[in-house]
Amino acid sequence: MSRGRPRKAVETKVSAERIYEVIRRPIITEKSTRGSEHSQVTFEVALNASKPEIKAAVESLFKVKVTAVNTLRQKGKFKRFKGRPGTRSDYKKAMVTLEEGHSIDVTTGV
Amino acid sequence: MQVNETLNEGLKREFTVTLAAAEIEDKVQARLAEVAKTAQIPGFRPGKVPSSVLKQRYGDAVLGEVLQQAVNDASQQAINERGLTPAMQPQIEVTKFEKGEDLEYKLTVELMPEIAPMDFSTLELERVKVEVPAEEVDKALERLAENQRTTKPLESERPAESGDVLVIDFKGTVGGVAFPGMEGQDHHLQLGSNQFIAGFEDQLIGAGKGDERTVTVTFPEGYANDELSGKEAVFEVTVKDILATESTPIDDEMAKNYGAENLEDLRKKVAEQLGQEFEGIARSKVKRELLDKLAEGHDFPVPPGMVEQEFEAIWRQIEADREAGRSDPDDEGKDEETLKQEYRTIAERRVRLGLLLSDVGQKNGIEVTQDELNKALFQEAQRYPGREREVIEFFQKNPEAIGNLRGPVFEDKTIDFILALAKVAERKLTPDELQKELEAEAGDESASEGGEKAEGKAKKAPAKAKSKAKPKAAKAGDADESSEA
Repeated sequence: MSRGRPRKAVETKVSAERIYEVIRRPIITEKSTRGSEHSQVTFEVALNASKPEIKAAVESLFKVKVTAVNTLRQKGKFKRFKGRPGTRSDYKKAMVTLEEGHSIDVTTGV
Repeated sequence: MQVNETLNEGLKREFTVTLAAAEIEDKVQARLAEVAKTAQIPGFRPGKVPSSVLKQRYGDAVLGEVLQQAVNDASQQAINERGLTPAMQPQIEVTKFEKGEDLEYKLTVELMPEIAPMDFSTLELERVKVEVPAEEVDKALERLAENQRTTKPLESERPAESGDVLVIDFKGTVGGVAFPGMEGQDHHLQLGSNQFIAGFEDQLIGAGKGDERTVTVTFPEGYANDELSGKEAVFEVTVKDILATESTPIDDEMAKNYGAENLEDLRKKVAEQLGQEFEGIARSKVKRELLDKLAEGHDFPVPPGMVEQEFEAIWRQIEADREAGRSDPDDEGKDEETLKQEYRTIAERRVRLGLLLSDVGQKNGIEVTQDELNKALFQEAQRYPGREREVIEFFQKNPEAIGNLRGPVFEDKTIDFILALAKVAERKLTPDELQKELEAEAGDESASEGGEKAEGKAKKAPAKAKSKAKPKAAKAGDADESSEA
């Protein structure tokens, strides 16, 4: 007897300008290309972007179906420049899993 | 690969070559796999770049590279299969290409003509042999003696005579204005040597030591300095000293000064040198004759492209000459078309002779040795007195420039080879007779008109021109070799 009620799916709306803010660029590395075998695509996204937002943005931008979004915050590296300490900016990485049969050619750009 | 012959005309061949898309694709893949081993792309370790990423990055560049190579390979294969020997770089024109489709291009080749050298032993030539007469040698010796003349102060004072050397100070003005170079002190001037303007020296004859004279002369029209040309100048001249000249007797002493053992030795050397000069003239004469005969005896077709190239070179030269105001007087009063026609004939002749000589040379294994090359190099260097070292250094640093020297040497050797086969009659001449003959020939040439003139010109031209045609032919030869490799 579960007391939980079925949660109502909330439609996240993303405006046309916000799409381009949310998705910065694809990340193309050895590690990310390994994900492409499982129809996963990696993007750098805005730090304040939420998973539903990313999902909506990718779906409307690339006309694909997204099944899951995993994100992580990558902390900027600590660097010294002429002895002065500094840090590189943090960024958020989003691994987007696409529904079977869908794909994005990350190398061609939008 | 599919090759269709579309044109077969004279020495020209045209092919349409089609390369299948799959063939090209394969080559691109192979090339990409090669690139993958070393490609450095951020985010990937070298050698770990997936092919899709590579294709995205390098696809177009690799495609271009592969296409070029494929076209070259296919062209060479097409040429080799048919056993053709191209005279120049084949021309390639891509008619159709789109990504993922067959490549179609047009290949235009000009063939080396079949050269069947004539039987050289039927050639009849005449070699002029000039004997150096004794008086020529004497004259030369006298000139040498004159160069060695010594001067000494007068024993007793007397007015200056022609032949004396005066030590003078002079200062000149034109219309009251002094010009640079019109002033001098302690200048040694030999009267009668015509070093100065005409009339200057004559007016000093009879001057005594310590005299001051005013000399008035007129600069000749066309004097190097425009401002002075045709003007009258007044020179204040002070004669400081008069030196008498003594002629050196022609004897062993003088001979030693010139580095010979004795007079007899010097005489022999002078005669030899004079002989060499005549030898050179005689050789160029017989060479010209030979080339004329060769041009008459051969009329194999010549690749039009090569003629065009040669013609362009000649024409450029002529235009440059014309701009410098040195146009050929023979060419005046003729319109552009006639001139072009004439020079085209010359170009054709040059190319034909160049091809013939290089062919004969190659077939008979004539080679230029390093020694001969060095000799030619030193001769070239001697043409720039005082800068020999620079010239030699230049050639050492530029091996391709040495190739330009090789041409004439090779040509000379080939000509020697043909001369050895030909019937050469000898005719003895004195220098004067030779002189007259050469003049008569030159007269003939300028007298003859129109189309004949082109021939006359060509007579003079080949000697210097063929060396140009030769390296080209040699280059074409090189291309053949590489195509076989």
